Amino acid sequence: MKKIISAILLLSIFISSCTKDFENLNRDPNQVSDEELTQDNNLLGSPFSSLVFNIFGHQIEEDLCYDSWMGYMNTPTDFVGNVNNTTYYIRWNSYWDRIYGSVMSPSKKVIELSAKYNLPMFATWAKFVRILAVSKLTAVHGPVIYSNYGSSANSIPYDKESDLYNTFFLQLDSIQTTFSANKDYPGFAKFDQSYKGDIKQWQKLLNSVRLRLAMRLSKVDAALAKVQGEKAMSDPAGLIEVNADNFKVALLGNIMPVAQICYQWDDTRMGGVIESFMAGYNDGRSAKMFEPATSAADPIHPSFQFKGIRNGAFCGTTKPKMLTYSKVSNDFNSVLNRRAFTASEVSFLKAEAALRGWTGAGDAKTNYENGIKLSFADWGAAGVDAYIADATSKPLNYVDPADSRNNFTQPSTITIAWSEADSKELKLEKIITQKYLNTFTNTLEAWIDFRRTGYPKIPHVAKNDSSPDWGVIPATEWIKRMPFVNGERTGNTTAVADAVTKMGTGAKDDIATRLWWDTGGPNF
Amino acid sequence: MTKIRVLLLFMLIANVASAQTRQLSGVVTDANSQGVPSATVKIKGSNTQSLTGQDGKFTIAVPKGNIVLVISSIGFEFKEVPVSGTDDNVSISMTGSSAALGEVVVTALGIKRDKKALTYASQLVSGDELRRAANINFVDALSGKAAGIDIKTSNSGAGGSTKAVLRGNKSLLGLSEALYVIDGVPMVNNKGAQPGSYGGSDQGDGLSAINPEDIESLNILRGANAAILYGSQGANGVILITLKKGKTGKPTLSLSSSTVVDKISGLPDFQYEYGAEGSSVYNWSTTKGNYQKDYIKDFFQTGVNTTNAVSISGGGDKTTAYFSYANVSARGVVPTNTYNKNNFSFNSSTKMLNDKLTVSSSVMFSNEISHNRPGAGYYNNPLTGLYLFARQLDFADYKNNYQVFDADRNLYKMNWYSTEEKQNNPYWELNKDTKLATSNRVIANVKASYDLTKHFKFEARANIDYADKKYDNRYAAGGNSVSVSPNGAWSYAKYTDQSIYTDGIFSYTNTLGKLSITAIAGASYQKNTFYDGMSVSNGGAQYTLQYPNVFTFANMPYQVVFNQTLSRTLKQGVFADLQLGYKDALFLDIAGRNDWASTLALSGNQSYLYPSVGLSAIISEMITMPEAISFFKLRASLSQTANEVPFNVVSPLNTIGGAGDPAGPGTITYNSQVPFTNLKPEKIVSNEYGAEMKFFNGRAGLEFTYYNDVSTNQFLSLPAPSGSGYNTQYINAGKIVNKGFEIAITADPLKTSAFQWKTTVNFSQNRNKIVELIPSNPDYQVGGDDEGFASIIKAGGSFNDVYIFKFARTASGQIILDGNGVPTKAATSEKVGNVNPDFLLGWNNTVTYKDFSLSLLVTGKFGGVAFSKTEAFLDSYGVSQRTADARASATIPINADQAGTKVTSIDPVVYYSAIGDRNKIMEPYIYSRTNVRLGQFVLAYNFKIGNPNSTIKAASVSLIGRNLFFFYKKAPYDPEQAMSTGNSMQSNDVFAVPPTRSYGINLKVTF
Repeated sequence: MKKIISAILLLSIFISSCTKDFENLNRDPNQVSDEELTQDNNLLGSPFSSLVFNIFGHQIEEDLCYDSWMGYMNTPTDFVGNVNNTTYYIRWNSYWDRIYGSVMSPSKKVIELSAKYNLPMFATWAKFVRILAVSKLTAVHGPVIYSNYGSSANSIPYDKESDLYNTFFLQLDSIQTTFSANKDYPGFAKFDQSYKGDIKQWQKLLNSVRLRLAMRLSKVDAALAKVQGEKAMSDPAGLIEVNADNFKVALLGNIMPVAQICYQWDDTRMGGVIESFMAGYNDGRSAKMFEPATSAADPIHPSFQFKGIRNGAFCGTTKPKMLTYSKVSNDFNSVLNRRAFTASEVSFLKAEAALRGWTGAGDAKTNYENGIKLSFADWGAAGVDAYIADATSKPLNYVDPADSRNNFTQPSTITIAWSEADSKELKLEKIITQKYLNTFTNTLEAWIDFRRTGYPKIPHVAKNDSSPDWGVIPATEWIKRMPFVNGERTGNTTAVADAVTKMGTGAKDDIATRLWWDTGGPNF
Repeated sequence: MTKIRVLLLFMLIANVASAQTRQLSGVVTDANSQGVPSATVKIKGSNTQSLTGQDGKFTIAVPKGNIVLVISSIGFEFKEVPVSGTDDNVSISMTGSSAALGEVVVTALGIKRDKKALTYASQLVSGDELRRAANINFVDALSGKAAGIDIKTSNSGAGGSTKAVLRGNKSLLGLSEALYVIDGVPMVNNKGAQPGSYGGSDQGDGLSAINPEDIESLNILRGANAAILYGSQGANGVILITLKKGKTGKPTLSLSSSTVVDKISGLPDFQYEYGAEGSSVYNWSTTKGNYQKDYIKDFFQTGVNTTNAVSISGGGDKTTAYFSYANVSARGVVPTNTYNKNNFSFNSSTKMLNDKLTVSSSVMFSNEISHNRPGAGYYNNPLTGLYLFARQLDFADYKNNYQVFDADRNLYKMNWYSTEEKQNNPYWELNKDTKLATSNRVIANVKASYDLTKHFKFEARANIDYADKKYDNRYAAGGNSVSVSPNGAWSYAKYTDQSIYTDGIFSYTNTLGKLSITAIAGASYQKNTFYDGMSVSNGGAQYTLQYPNVFTFANMPYQVVFNQTLSRTLKQGVFADLQLGYKDALFLDIAGRNDWASTLALSGNQSYLYPSVGLSAIISEMITMPEAISFFKLRASLSQTANEVPFNVVSPLNTIGGAGDPAGPGTITYNSQVPFTNLKPEKIVSNEYGAEMKFFNGRAGLEFTYYNDVSTNQFLSLPAPSGSGYNTQYINAGKIVNKGFEIAITADPLKTSAFQWKTTVNFSQNRNKIVELIPSNPDYQVGGDDEGFASIIKAGGSFNDVYIFKFARTASGQIILDGNGVPTKAATSEKVGNVNPDFLLGWNNTVTYKDFSLSLLVTGKFGGVAFSKTEAFLDSYGVSQRTADARASATIPINADQAGTKVTSIDPVVYYSAIGDRNKIMEPYIYSRTNVRLGQFVLAYNFKIGNPNSTIKAASVSLIGRNLFFFYKKAPYDPEQAMSTGNSMQSNDVFAVPPTRSYGINLKVTF
């Protein structure tokens, strides 16, 4: 037995000396340490293209939500028995996870590492990308986790919307100050797929974002909105005013989602709502955004060869028929980036700012017409002058050759040409309607404008499956928000309950509760 | 061990030497007149026993006068031989046995032990029994033949994977499958990918590489108690494979040839009378037509599996050797599916230095090639298009013209009536989307065993298990636009799996008076390097290949990442086991093992110790039992084992997340998992208690075991809180209890010289309870809704509870119809059962009459639910016979309520469109999993070999049937032929290959 015991002892010593290599063995050699990535500042810079890319979603975040709700693109596929997000019954709710998983989490590490490696500009940049992303997320859910992000507490509270926007504006001040002091900083060049590291361009984007957020608050907190809007328009760094300055997000080798969903998955066709506007206006941009319908029988308006599907349509057995409707333009299959903030949108923001009497906004008409011109130029469409002068064309009623339950009478009767004689309300409707037509592929912004102003006037969903499960949308209304995600509802229960109270009295975590800035009150 | 026994015997002889004894010598031989080594020779009614030597010879001191010798040995039938008082030399011939009442069994690490001394449950199945029905996969052949083992085989045909679970599921993220051990050394059994709802095919596992012809016997150690010496790997039980070895004597040559055909035994009930209206894909026309009927049945072919094997065994006094070769050539029931396997095996053993040193070595090589192994799920599955096809169209035309020439592209495109994502022309799928899987595997080892002294022995082993695998799936350009990019899709993986194992074991045996001691101590080293290679895929339709139908790395688009894959674990262990026997009637077994695992590096818990203690008492040796009871043993054992965690989860680093694009490099993806530096190994505490009885001198036997396993510190993955800064985290939590019992009954009810009937019954129950997962997060669950079916693990339930959506009903039970008269779905999904059966039954019978023998195996699984999404689709598409019947009567009776009005009839289209398809009201598609079948039928004839000098020593021919028919089955498919052998898709059917029935013939000749 002594032999055995000594043998075991010897083996134990042998083994404990071997375990030193365990750490190395348990490391995946295909992974990379922070230290190995510090060369060329890749560790801090490389994540940016992905951070920026992920401010947008894909099929379940955008296409089956705002693309459909706002009538840009719609689906002929009867997902989950034709009862889904497009018909106001929530099946998918994943934008939240994208923002926290792919923007907030990596940007947290960028901010930490920029302190560690003394490269503070990367932290500044990351903070700005966070505002780009979270300002979109809050427009979907309302309260979100922002100022307490990264806490190790068991329950992480949500920011009340009014606090959140104040935080955004304060942070934008500080970021703009840092950018101004480092206008020629060369460190982003290699990592910035939007502006090639030109800080001055980012400054323009920052001012434009400030203007966009200010306008979002124009009804709920008119004073703050005016202050911030005027600040944006007076900042010496300027706004995105020409198409060359447009903020575009690189697709990083991915196919543009709207094209992938349509061409590869056959899950979308042109929306019936945008069809009714573009057919009525004989809009030159239609050929740049969509392909003609492939069955000659489909288009019901002579001279307009495009056909769309109603928002929240009845579909399913009619899918083969609907597949002959207009696809999105084939050009989207080969684009390398997507529109995230255009000069045209800035121009329409300034037009509305002028209506609201904000200093520095200029003339409403000029801005309105300039917005249309910038948009036509950006989309590469001709005939803008005649279009702007058209004072008679109106959106047309929609007829669905596949299923007449999808037909609608166009609620909007707005025309294009500006008339100083119009009321402010009519002027606003024209501005937002044209803004809507420009905003294709950045459709969350259109949903925000629609909830804030009620424009453009669009039909209700053909099929309304809203129920007490996620909230009931009456036949006279439209979806107001997305519920908080299940992971948070079950894993961060206290904070979610608190967030609901932060939405105001009577608020529920459902799709019928209005966000803070969606007052439901008059526009002026 | 022989020496131990000789010593034991020496003591016993010393004890009885004072009585009136005489010396009896003899030889025990097998059917081929070869000596049977290590057989136990016992005097009936006495404790005196002896063991045979390597040559089968023995001597034993026997009382004067007539006696009866009882001879037993592993793999042979128990035999009683009367010896008259005048005989002093006997020759005893043994016959092979399936019941294996032999007393010496192989236990963990290949250590042979007296079965009666074991403190835990084990069950032996002979190689002959496994080979009886000519199964290509030996695990498949094990079903019903041993207690407490739940076996599922993939319905993907030859070369497919299996799932064998002993005593229930214990690990939430792992597979809870038994460890396979070949001659003492753990074998690699990495399972490839499995199909899911959306598609995929079974990529097999490591077990198909074994040639069943090489298996001498299997010993099943059901609990962790038995397997502690394997450490954590043995926590789910162990299946010990003992390979055939060369035998001393004249060389023998065995030939075996079998051909087994597989036929589809049950298709869903289809209708062919009603087609679709216009361009619809739904067959909801109400006008009857005269349409093609046989194309589904004709699509499937007869599967043919041919196995030819040869083995040669022989040796002299010092050296023995065994060689075998086998070839399997198979085609599946789905056309274009083939499987080919070649196995070579060689082993030898040599004695040196006055027989003190034994050196043995073995090499096994296998080569497997699978083409188009069928899968399941929606995408790229020929069966979806085949089943859902619009009835009014001309299938023959689509079959003959599955491709059409696209002049614009100058290539062939798929020709199909529908562009649905889940539908393809079945013949395009077979001919243009090719799937290849190859595996080359070598398992080689050397072993040396040296008798240091009379009591001390040292053994050392080194083993390498090396496999080279390739998966190459190509999808032609012009196929389904959702699942295949315009220029085609390619997914390719090539990697090696390597496991190096070495151990050294000291053993000590001695007998001191009434006390016998067996002690072993040793150390092992095991380094696994798995998935060492690469994989690449253009993601189906995500990124198109640069040029159509060219499947090379150079043709991959720039966005695609070439993944390097690797997983490695180093585990070192020291272990010791002390077994004390008192008067050969009371045994105490204490074992312990300490492991050091590399996957726990940085956690501070990389070293962990676990003990086991067991006690067994041979009551029949202690007190006088009634005559009928010849043996009665009670045993109890308590053990704790620990399970290490997967590779690289403690603190992973950053990865490069993409291949980049023209404008810049791929992004760096930071590690977003919370570092888990207090990670602990999973822990399983097992108790088991058992009784073993033999009656009427071994004519009947009963073994009963009750066990209770508690698994804690489960390794769980969950999303990190949104606000935490991380995306995922791992925790140690949970408590899972598996308890149940196992009963094995063996009997020889009839035993005459001409007519024998042997029967065994294996019966077991396992109850699984998820006591707790994460106390602070009571809603935490593993698994979630998978297209309308959820197999969920959560606190308060059991492993793989099934949740589906039922109808929304009023308080009085009426189905609620919406404003349009459509049945509505309940707001939340509801548990409707569990996929795992409550009871397992195997009843195996062998009846021998003269030279004929008939073997019948009845297997049953009782309880559990099964779910068919296939049927749901057939209904919504209007292709099931149900929908035709309903259409003929134009109504379906229903007990429903529409806004307060009672509704008793509903339009079939409305009804089936509401319930069918995926993700709808799945209530009608839940079935009982319970099934009882004639699992195996074998009628064999053994040719009489009259002349003992004949060249041919033995020959037999047998007719084989497997899965012939069901005595009872409610599911519309065979729940035991699984679409997936993974955890989550159990008892689920999503357009999987229909069940098959097999018939065949097997010829065996021994020279």
